[in-house]
Amino acid sequence: MKADLPADRFELFLLGDGEKKVTWALDTRVPNTAIFTFNKEDHTLGNLLSSRLHKYPTIKFSAYIIPHPLKPSFDLRVTTDGSITPRDAIVQACRDVVQDLEVLSREFTKEWELKKITNIGRD
Amino acid sequence: MDYDTYAVDGAEELGPRVTIREANNVAVDFILRGADLAFANSLRRVILSEIPTIAIDLVEVESNTSVLADEFVCHRLGLIPLNSKDVDDVLYTRDCECDQYCESCSVTLTLHARCTGDDVMKVYARDLVVTGGRVNDQVGNPVITDAKGEGCVIVKLRKGQEIRVKCIAKKGIAKEHAKWMPTAAVGFEYDPHNKLRHLDLWFEEDAKKEWPPTKNADWEDPLQEGEPFNYDAQPDVFYFNVETVGGLPPDVIMQQGIKVLQQKLAAVIQELAGGDERNGDYGDGARSPDGPPPGTAYGADGGYTTPFGVGTGNASAWGGGTTPYGATPYGNSGAGW
Repeated sequence: MKADLPADRFELFLLGDGEKKVTWALDTRVPNTAIFTFNKEDHTLGNLLSSRLHKYPTIKFSAYIIPHPLKPSFDLRVTTDGSITPRDAIVQACRDVVQDLEVLSREFTKEWELKKITNIGRD
Repeated sequence: MDYDTYAVDGAEELGPRVTIREANNVAVDFILRGADLAFANSLRRVILSEIPTIAIDLVEVESNTSVLADEFVCHRLGLIPLNSKDVDDVLYTRDCECDQYCESCSVTLTLHARCTGDDVMKVYARDLVVTGGRVNDQVGNPVITDAKGEGCVIVKLRKGQEIRVKCIAKKGIAKEHAKWMPTAAVGFEYDPHNKLRHLDLWFEEDAKKEWPPTKNADWEDPLQEGEPFNYDAQPDVFYFNVETVGGLPPDVIMQQGIKVLQQKLAAVIQELAGGDERNGDYGDGARSPDGPPPGTAYGADGGYTTPFGVGTGNASAWGGGTTPYGATPYGNSGAGW
């Protein structure tokens, strides 16, 4: 199965020629459902988005799977209640997480500077 | 369509909060509150594997008469931590316009040592000398923290043995090779009393005796006698300990981790919200009412700014803006302790 292994380690995180970060398709069997394939991403993003989507009341289902452990991609399946498209829900989730990270960044900087001052005072 | 009011249970509304318990120039120990497990774990994962640093990636061996094989020495050279200050200014070699490597995408270090005495001579990381230009005057310097100022041992030489190599240090991330890891380890714990029962502790006789509580256990109330199991409880408090190998100070590692994660998400937003509908049948279907016009808010890469005018309207920490708390988190760290 050597042919399945990535030839170079950077293929784990660099998109190939013409490869898209995200592709998606509607699931025809269930309404308001789409399956998104994220290329060159892993649990870091998969679990983050999937569990963030669980917090929205408009989301009926969201889960991700990494189809093959040696292939750097995951599939995220999202079902909404119909008031929002799965795609917009993901975009919203991303925005909210970016916002949270921004808050975290500020909080950390604030605490760090405080700690620095108290450390100097202690010495 | 009002999905701003998701799961408002007080704490979440405020967003993540941080309490730093201990900090110095090599490690930071903090508590993250008001975030969920996925958020905390993504932060941990991104710090471990996706923050760019500098490490020796290419070695030209001109002479090696030591007892160690060339490959062995090259591997050791690769693992030497190098100063990665302002590594954002260094290009990835694959993105650089140069043929092989140049000053804007690499740092060249040379090592030349010959043993002439009768005693065994040790060659240290301090013997690596940066030659040629680089983007700033610190990037690529070997990290030396010991009292004698020697750094780690690379090889030992006997009389007459010589090593002469040229090393090209490049920018990379730990997903490609562990030598680019900015941290030695990231301590991560939640729920020290195992109230949520995420752990099934193995024991001989008594789990309580055989699994002594960690120091984080003092920060939370233990399970009361006869307290019923709370099925709805979610982890909310996370204990982090980020320890650097010396190339980047711990606060920069944190900020870089946040930035890398934001860029990941921005790439997804760019792909899904930017541009035209490429596939799928939704066409002009329901679109979030507050959604921005396609392809504006987020640049694909480069100077990332937050699209949200959060709070005080400060500039984001990236791309030259100053933080509202005096000095920027970059550049001056490492000093002051």
